[in-house]
Amino acid sequence: MANLKDIRDRIKSVRSIQKVTKAMKMVAAAKMRKAQERMEQARPYSNSLSEVIEHLLPDIDRERLPLLNLREIKRKAYVVVCADRGLAGAFNTNLLKIAQKEIDEFGKDQVDIFCIGKKARDHFTYRNYNIVESHVDFWAEMEFENAMMIGRSAIDHFTNGTVDEIHVVYNYFVNVAQQEVRSETLLPLNYETNESGPSDRLYEPSKEELVNTLIPRHLNVQMWKYLLESYASEQAARMLSMENATSNAQDMIKDLTLQFNKARQAAITTEMLEIVGGAEALD
Amino acid sequence: MTSFNLDIVTPIRELKIGEVNYLRCPGIDGSFGVMNNHREGILALAVGEVKVTQGGKDEYFSTGGGFVEIIDNSVKLLVESIERSNDIDTDRAQRSLDRAKKRQVDKDPDTNNARIDASMMRALNRLRVAKR
Repeated sequence: MANLKDIRDRIKSVRSIQKVTKAMKMVAAAKMRKAQERMEQARPYSNSLSEVIEHLLPDIDRERLPLLNLREIKRKAYVVVCADRGLAGAFNTNLLKIAQKEIDEFGKDQVDIFCIGKKARDHFTYRNYNIVESHVDFWAEMEFENAMMIGRSAIDHFTNGTVDEIHVVYNYFVNVAQQEVRSETLLPLNYETNESGPSDRLYEPSKEELVNTLIPRHLNVQMWKYLLESYASEQAARMLSMENATSNAQDMIKDLTLQFNKARQAAITTEMLEIVGGAEALD
Repeated sequence: MTSFNLDIVTPIRELKIGEVNYLRCPGIDGSFGVMNNHREGILALAVGEVKVTQGGKDEYFSTGGGFVEIIDNSVKLLVESIERSNDIDTDRAQRSLDRAKKRQVDKDPDTNNARIDASMMRALNRLRVAKR
């Protein structure tokens, strides 16, 4: 049986780990709430923008705008949205597994990857994938500018013909206990062309030009939403896994305390037997 | 005086301005005014200054561009950034202006000229509107 000092030391170390996991859980909860608030705030803008786009697009001929071109898909780009840090359960692993599977299915050499988050960058660098751009270390002061930057370079990649399709793989925030890996097509936009009657509305400059400036903005806000969803999911996943870690630590402390008491009891019993044995020998 | 409803929506917040009498926007081909019962439509906005007249008082905002949607006598400004003239962080604008100027001189082959121009325009616009 382990000696008393060893057990006491283990209890101490488990207890201090428990303090850390508890603090991490609290921090994650606060960050998650903030991300959720920002998701709420982004909603009116993105909804209105989508409405306008849906209204305008059916009248536009795809051929006339490079942003709307449908080309034969020879090369794809993947935007993989991940976290900078681990200790969030299966958050990163799940996503990277799915992203890698999709990329491998299309062919590793025909895919350009935009890595968002250190974990994605490290994963794909290590496996020698074709990374065009990585964005790391911005989650703490995440601003709309970040989304604009990522969005812009992805759009450029599409309009200059390097890739024919852009996918985004990210964690969708279902609720605090559940996140879902989703893979969506960012470009080309999916819509049906149809001839609607002329409306009485004023479009300035032309409808085509409007769409041309509208779509990048739409994609920026889309990107912003992906980042927020992913950030909220990350914090929720971390919160849950830290919660589990804390309760596991509690269980361990309980077991170790029991062991400690048993060992102490055994030591006392042995000591008493020795004393009694010694006293008898004297008689 | 007649009035109409104005909302300003950005990706990070929503400003409900309420009933206003007059709105002046920086259109792509020059600024234009909106008053009550304006024709419905969607118009693109450039980087510039937005003027709002509400109850006889004028207010100025700087914007990074976007759209204005006029439907049913209610106006919605969909812009990527909006700042009231006295909320503008002039130090930040000055810094980004200096940065853009420096980049223009350095002529790094990797930098995108259009982006430098755009960020310079935004900074200059902020500084200008802040003086209001």
